[in-house]
Amino acid sequence: MSKIIGIDLGTTNSAVAVMKGGEPEILENAEGNRTTPSIVAVSKAGERIVGTLAKRQAVTNPKGTIFSVKRLMGRKFTDPEIERDKVWLPYEIKAGPTGGVEVKMGDGWYSPEAISAEILRKLKTDAEAKLGEKVEEAVITVPAYFDDSQRQATKNAGEIAGLKVNRIINEPTAAALAYGLDKQKSEKIVVYDFGGGTFDISVLEIGDNTVEVKATGGDTHLGGDDFDKKINEYLVAEYKKQAGIDLSKDALALQRLKEGAERAKHELSVAVETEINLPYITSDASGPKHFTMKLSRAKLEELVREYIDRSVKLTEETVTAAPPKGAGFKLSEINEVILVGGQTRMPAIVEAVKKLFGKDPHQGINPDEVVAVGAAIQGGILQGDVKDILLLDVTPLTLSIETLGSVATPMIQKNTTVPTSKSQIFSTAADNQPAVEIHVLQGERPLASDNKTLARFILDGLPPSPRGLPQIEVTFDIDANGILSVKAIDKASGKSQSVRIEASTALSKDEIEKLKKEALEHATEDAEKKSLIEAKNQAESLVYLSEKSLRDAGDKVPEDVKKSITEKIEELKKVTAGNNLEAIQSASTTLSAEIQKIGQSMYNEEKPQDTSPPKEPGTPS
Amino acid sequence: MNEEPNNPFPDQPNEPENELTKVQEERDTYLSGWQRAKADFINYKKEEFARLGEIAKYGNEDLIRELIGVIDNFDLGLAALEKSGPIEKGIYIIRAQIEDILKKRGLEKINVKPGDPFDPNLAEAVTEVESDKPPGVIVEIIEPGYRLHGKILRPTRIKISKGQS
Repeated sequence: MSKIIGIDLGTTNSAVAVMKGGEPEILENAEGNRTTPSIVAVSKAGERIVGTLAKRQAVTNPKGTIFSVKRLMGRKFTDPEIERDKVWLPYEIKAGPTGGVEVKMGDGWYSPEAISAEILRKLKTDAEAKLGEKVEEAVITVPAYFDDSQRQATKNAGEIAGLKVNRIINEPTAAALAYGLDKQKSEKIVVYDFGGGTFDISVLEIGDNTVEVKATGGDTHLGGDDFDKKINEYLVAEYKKQAGIDLSKDALALQRLKEGAERAKHELSVAVETEINLPYITSDASGPKHFTMKLSRAKLEELVREYIDRSVKLTEETVTAAPPKGAGFKLSEINEVILVGGQTRMPAIVEAVKKLFGKDPHQGINPDEVVAVGAAIQGGILQGDVKDILLLDVTPLTLSIETLGSVATPMIQKNTTVPTSKSQIFSTAADNQPAVEIHVLQGERPLASDNKTLARFILDGLPPSPRGLPQIEVTFDIDANGILSVKAIDKASGKSQSVRIEASTALSKDEIEKLKKEALEHATEDAEKKSLIEAKNQAESLVYLSEKSLRDAGDKVPEDVKKSITEKIEELKKVTAGNNLEAIQSASTTLSAEIQKIGQSMYNEEKPQDTSPPKEPGTPS
Repeated sequence: MNEEPNNPFPDQPNEPENELTKVQEERDTYLSGWQRAKADFINYKKEEFARLGEIAKYGNEDLIRELIGVIDNFDLGLAALEKSGPIEKGIYIIRAQIEDILKKRGLEKINVKPGDPFDPNLAEAVTEVESDKPPGVIVEIIEPGYRLHGKILRPTRIKISKGQS
């Protein structure tokens, strides 16, 4: 059976994804890009071109290049939206024989479906090339506000392109699917979709296996392109102020400026300031002119503030207004917020949305790809891929073992797919230690005492040996049913002990969430405690090493050096008993410098007879 | 595998046989699931390996893209300097050195020139100008284009002819 691909057929760009080995994956197009411009053209030579290639010739072929055709899909020619779009679209449109819209591309008239089909055909062909197999079926997404005729038109476009359209799903629903939110019992979700040319807001309510669209809103003529335009205008105006030259008439300079502005916009999503450098942007009588300008994130945000504010206002209206205008929900009732569309990478937008709802929005998946990913998941569900008989679980919390200083040393990290098994070698903390205690813990906190104890057992009968020498292998094994077995074996004697913990993953969902939340809340304080313990552990090792070296060296070290070292050892022991991290660190540094004198004195003596180097202690249990 | 079940009660064959059939079915399901999982894993490893190759090839794409911009500016600078007289030869050698470094990493200049017909596979039309060349033909190269291991990193930016008015 051929794979069902998921297609996000967007106004400006489209993307394709498919389920592979149980995971959604974006398929690159023939040009090696993860999204494809939704542009179709008939070149002046009469050739039909789609995507990036169509975009490359758009400037010189405005009448033969069709973009934004999604705005026309399934609409009547008399639709007020069409009236509005007719004004600015550079290509010609007219009423079709059944009252729909027809588009003039080159010398022919085409329906929006036929144009969309060209895009879909390219997506299909490229997906086939990438997958190395035929693709016959697809799930295609549409905006939640699309009516029946717009959905039907989209479906028809798929059929024209040779695809069996298995299902048309809403873009916000696809986004929710991508984040796995469909499995929730009862949730209210807001999808904030800021694309290149459109801003869509959707309010969804998820019930038992159903997703209901409660309200939709937004602005079909507000998008990231407006942001770019605004930045460009600002740069041109600033340059005119600074250099007295108007770049807006210079197509070449404008092109470079546009690229510079776009790069700056992207950089300001991570940096707070960036510089746009365009040497030799133009020239006048006095010689070449350069464009160099610093742009700060604050300035960028100031420039586009009105757009962000508008989007927030529209969002609030769509959520809170009484039906049918809005969903009639309180902002505080919303359980999840999802960000879609490239423009949502802008930190100011994330902040604005966070402020409005008082919670962090979902944004882990690439916002340009999340809808296609969701469509692929829907395809997987239809194909039966997702409901695999072999459902593999993950461990919800980290499983650790307690080591010296009450530190929880992770053995199996949270979110590891089970069954799984991990082994690590531990050692002893004291000379001639006869037994080690294995303390099995569950939780995200770095200190043992803050986590949940799952089991404790003792491995005894260790043969007498210096600290750090014994090798105790501890193995954690979780089987497919979530049952944890812990085994400890002393490599020297072959002695072993083990324990089986049935309820390792049997925490309730609330408990798991609580533990994860606690870990986040205490992260800083925990890190401090952990560094203190580590410093203490290092200090203790150092004390041990120093004392041992002094003993080993015997008379070869002069009395005054011995005395000085002993003093430093005592000093370090004293501060280690306390909790002052800096004092411990500084006393450790002093002692560590001081003990080098042992070596120096010994080399100054005659060549020593038998001095084995001091043993490096391992990670003692 | 095909051994007859050892039935201690020949007059009551149904129960254990049903049980056996059920267990055999389960065994087949599990075995095929296991085989699939194993195959998936092996395939995944192969794909990952291929992907690593791709990453190694295109991993520094962003860096190279930015360096192309530097070469562009270098050329603009050279062109400006050339107008006011001859330039020290060493400057050209430095420029060639940068280009050479990028060439070794798979970068290749796209070969289009004025007079060629416009091909959107290789070039991007930035504007259209009147010229004595036939319509649709390249009049001027604005910025050279580059391929990285065959993939178009940046199309050649060109002016095309719209003929004479």
